[in-house]
This record gives sequence, structure tokens and C-alpha cells, in this order.
Amino acid sequence: MMDDLNPSGSNKQPVVLPGTTGYQVGQNAPDFTISDTFGNSVMLSSALTGTAIKGVVLYFTMWCPVCDTHMSHIRDSLMPQFAGVTYFAADYVSGSVAQARQSEMDNGYDGSGFVVLADTSNCVLGAYHATMGTTVVIDRTGVVLMNEDFKDGTRLRNILTNLP
Amino acid sequence: MQNRSFTILCAALILGAACFSSQSVFAGSCCGGGGGSALVLPKFYQAMVDVSFDQEKYDGFWNQDGKYTPDPAGSDLRQYRLNTGYARRLSAKWQTSVLVPYVWNVNIYSSGSHRKDGVGDTMVNLWYEVLADTSAWKIRDLKDLTPSIIIGPSLVIPTGISPYDGVPSNEVTGRGFYRLDGNILISKTLHPWNASVAFSYGSYLERTVNREVDYVTPYRKQLGDRSSAAVSLSYLYYLGSGGDTLTGTASLSELREANATIDGRPIDNSGLQKDSIGGTIAYSSTDHDWGVRATWSHTAKQDGQGKNFPATDIYTIGVNYGFR
Repeated sequence: MMDDLNPSGSNKQPVVLPGTTGYQVGQNAPDFTISDTFGNSVMLSSALTGTAIKGVVLYFTMWCPVCDTHMSHIRDSLMPQFAGVTYFAADYVSGSVAQARQSEMDNGYDGSGFVVLADTSNCVLGAYHATMGTTVVIDRTGVVLMNEDFKDGTRLRNILTNLP
Repeated sequence: MQNRSFTILCAALILGAACFSSQSVFAGSCCGGGGGSALVLPKFYQAMVDVSFDQEKYDGFWNQDGKYTPDPAGSDLRQYRLNTGYARRLSAKWQTSVLVPYVWNVNIYSSGSHRKDGVGDTMVNLWYEVLADTSAWKIRDLKDLTPSIIIGPSLVIPTGISPYDGVPSNEVTGRGFYRLDGNILISKTLHPWNASVAFSYGSYLERTVNREVDYVTPYRKQLGDRSSAAVSLSYLYYLGSGGDTLTGTASLSELREANATIDGRPIDNSGLQKDSIGGTIAYSSTDHDWGVRATWSHTAKQDGQGKNFPATDIYTIGVNYGFR
């Protein structure tokens, strides 16, 4: 509350040691294995392999209006421009793969280009210390380049532009 | 006669306050909450205490194109608010009020449930009575059509838990921004009817943000200007031969918020819109010191009734006591 009554503009981001594993920018991304909405097993480290892969975008959704705004921006503006990037949407509110699949369809993201992950036990949510709208970018070496709210997508675009 | 006019005026103003309340609420498990409401003190009262309890039930949302979308299967999303208000007369025409909500978020998803409570955003109002409705019984000439007009600023103070306090979205009880509003409430009574119109326009103050769930590279953010309007029509009914009254009110409300900005850049599709209808039934005691009300604010769960906002039903019960 005090941060809101008297907001601070100081940069208080902690210093991160390269080579450590964690959710913060500069750390090695925690690996995970999870089911997508079609029942396929998805492993982060496997998704980062392949010569054409530049990186992964991991967006956390609770299927809300703000989430839809963010996801449609990614789908319509970023996916066409940044090939070689895999786009995951982690559904952390559905308790089963079938419910996650239903939400994916209800919200118009069937066949959208997102691979929707059914984070039914919130393991990925916890590993990335995420919440609604959290957007994580991981490069092909497995390093976290971004972990923050989507906002207007400008920072995400800049990071994708600079992916090697 | 004078007593009855007074009764109508009280009912109109209290319902006007309720009308402000129904349009001012902004809450959401995803989007912040704990919005305050305005409390307008009836004439001849020196102070008033108002306590109300809201239950807001979420039922889907409208996306940025106005398409209604259901919530995830197995979800039950609610916010409860205990609103404590106090109004104080400063002079014959000036009054002030403050309202502090306490918020409980209860979000149940099929993957798990989340509960969090805390103080919401506080609202402080200053009101000035520009005109008084002096002819509530009969229209004899044009000047009898003069409505009561009350204007004043209000300030929303971000005392709630916001998305910039290092918490996940389901723990949010406030929006994290100061907001300054200008308000006008126009009300005309012709016994036993009353018609009211309320307008409000406000701007959020830009702030720096250096923390979301974790600390981030600092940036500046400002939510978009917010406007709201509500019209209401009331009918007052006397219970028996005493002075107890029952007032029924129907209202239409519209809420708009423009796009937010990050470092001065507009965030496309971040604005919102919500249209709602409401109904209030209010009881007032013979001496008019006590009042009890129940309100239902409803949004139609269909395309085009909102944009970028949750669809909700808000049920409110409230009680107020005036000090002469």
C-alpha cells in the first residue's frame, strides 16, 4: 500500500548471478514438462532445441479481458513478425486438460499459434513466480531475457527483435 | 407537507448516493477492485454514517471487441466489500464524506481457490449544493421545475493492495492510482416521483512503477480518463398512515475508461466500457433518521454490453443513520 501512496521510481531489481537457475532475468530458466491442451507432453528444454528455434515466449493467462487483449496482440502483431519463436500460453486456472482446451476454444484461441499449456497444478506458475499477464522470454540457450507484465508489448517486441 | 417534501428529498439524495455507488464500483479478480462510492448528506442533517455490504459475482467478461466470453469452466469468482462511509456537513451548502471499503476476494477455479482480504481504495468527497429543489409537490410556474444540483470533486486514494505491491492478481483490492473526479448530481422531485442524473469525469494521476509481482525496470504508468453517467427514476410509497416510506428506484449506468499509457505511450485496447441496469428498494423510518436499502446492479451477459471488462452482478444491502 505504501508503494501506491508514495510510488518509488528506484530500480530495486536484485543482482542475479549468471549460471544460476531461477525465474529472474539473466538466470537459466527452470525446465518443466507439462501437458498441452491436446494431451501432448511439452518439455521446455526440448522446445528450445532445433536449428530454427530462436526462443520461447511464455505467457500466463487466466482467460480474462486483460489476458485476451495481451494474447490477441501477440497473435496478431508479434507471431507474424517473429518466426522461429514458440509461443506458449500457460493456463493456470483450469484444473484439467479438457477444461483448459475448452477455455482455449471459448476464448477464440483454437489454432491461434499459441501452444496452450494446462498448468493444472500451477507448477510452471510457481517456478516463474508469475501471475496474470506475466510474460517470459527465454532464448535458445535457456536464459531468461524477460519476466514481467506484458504491458503494451513494446518491451516484448524489443527483446524478440534482438534475439540472435 | 414540509415533512413529506423533506422525506422525498432525503430519499432522492440517498438513492442518488446509491446511484453513484452502483456506477463507481470497479472490481475484478483480474483487474483490481474495491472501488468506493459517494455519500451525499440529506438537507437538515449534520452527519450520517452509512454501512453497506456488496457481493459482486463475476460471470464472464467482454473482450476488447465487446464479445461476451464465459469464465473458465469450474470457476466461481466473487468479491465481497464492506463499505463504511461517513458524511459531515461543513455549512449549509458544503459537505464532505469519506468511504473506506474492506474487500474480500474469493476466487475459486478448477485448479484451486484463492482468498485474500484487505482495505480497498478510499474515496473522499467534497460537495456543494448549487441549487435546491424547492417545489417537490406542484409545478406552478417554470421556476418550480428547478432541480437540486450538487457538484463537487472526489479523490480516490490508493489505500488498497494493487498489482504494484508484489502480489499476484487474485490478491488485488485496489488499483494503485490516485484519481481526481468532478461530479454532478441533478435531481428533481415531483411527489411521489423523483428523477436523477449523475455524471462523473475523472483523471488518474501518473505514477512510477518499479514493482509488479517482482521488482522491474521502473516505468511510468497512467490509467485512462474515466467517465460515468447514470439516470434513475424513483417512486416513493408511504407505508400505512405513519411516515415510514418505501422507495423503489430503477437506474441505468454507463462507465467508460480511456486507454492507459506506459511512459506516455497509449496501450491499445486497455480502455474499458460497462453498461448496467440497477434496481434499489429503500426503507426509511418515520423520523427519517434510519434508512435501509437493497440494490441489485446487473450487466447483460451478451455481446455489446461492455468492452474489456468483467460482467458482474452486484448485490448490496446497506443501512444509514443520520444525525441532525
